[in-house]
Amino acid sequence: MALHSAIKGKLISVIGDEDTCVGFLLGGVGEINKNRHPNFLVVDKNTAVSEIEDTFKRFLKRDDVDIILINQNIAEIIRHVIDSHNSPIPAVLEIPSKDHPYDASKDSILRRAKGMFNPDDL
Amino acid sequence: MCNANEDLDKICETLDKLTLDALYLMQEEIDLKLNIENAMSGGEAHLAKSRYILGLTNVSALQLPTENSPEFSAGLKVEVDEALLGRNVYNLREIKKTEDENVQEPLRWFGILVPQNLNFAQKMFRQALQWSVQAVNVQNQLRSVLQSISNLKEVKTKNASS
Repeated sequence: MALHSAIKGKLISVIGDEDTCVGFLLGGVGEINKNRHPNFLVVDKNTAVSEIEDTFKRFLKRDDVDIILINQNIAEIIRHVIDSHNSPIPAVLEIPSKDHPYDASKDSILRRAKGMFNPDDL
Repeated sequence: MCNANEDLDKICETLDKLTLDALYLMQEEIDLKLNIENAMSGGEAHLAKSRYILGLTNVSALQLPTENSPEFSAGLKVEVDEALLGRNVYNLREIKKTEDENVQEPLRWFGILVPQNLNFAQKMFRQALQWSVQAVNVQNQLRSVLQSISNLKEVKTKNASS
């Protein structure tokens, strides 16, 4: 069974706005598993922050997910949850969206890296 | 005393190299994110053209499967190419219908005869996925370099104080 799942690979989850989710699912990463749990969440202006947090935490717990793609503007909303995730698996990748271009100064891993380059520490 | 100084020099030298590595990796990560942005905006433009042809609500989240939809498997997954020093290197892998019969063609969610733009959008978003997997690999590499820097700093502080 372990070998079987190793051959089949792991999932990429998506938390994003409508265009991001439609696009990446069109690319073929979407899945509905046998428990009827999707690996994506479409976030619009009516989506509650608690729902985004819960979905993100559920993706973190799933052992069939290796990468979570999340729009950077949505990541900003649940920054405290993202910053508390220190494990490399699943990897959380902040991606730009249509309305919010990529801003390296907000990226979780790059901020962590920048924090290490305090000249007094080196 | 001489040995302690030599050790400290070696630690500082390694720290310099790791810091340089981290800077290169940060630059690579930013470049990859910009590539993702370009591929996504190309894909979004094609989605917009498809919306113009098919209608506003015919290319939207309404076409995506929901919790009530029948079970299906992803056609693109990631597999671990190799595990380097406890760090996974991922590779994107296409799952063929012959390997898993639950794999669906996502274009069919939008109808039988879909505009060519939807095919172009699919290609652009697949390209964005390729960049994303590469960005994850760079991010993992950066994470492990940062961990090494942090460990070495601790050793350096201990050495300096003793």
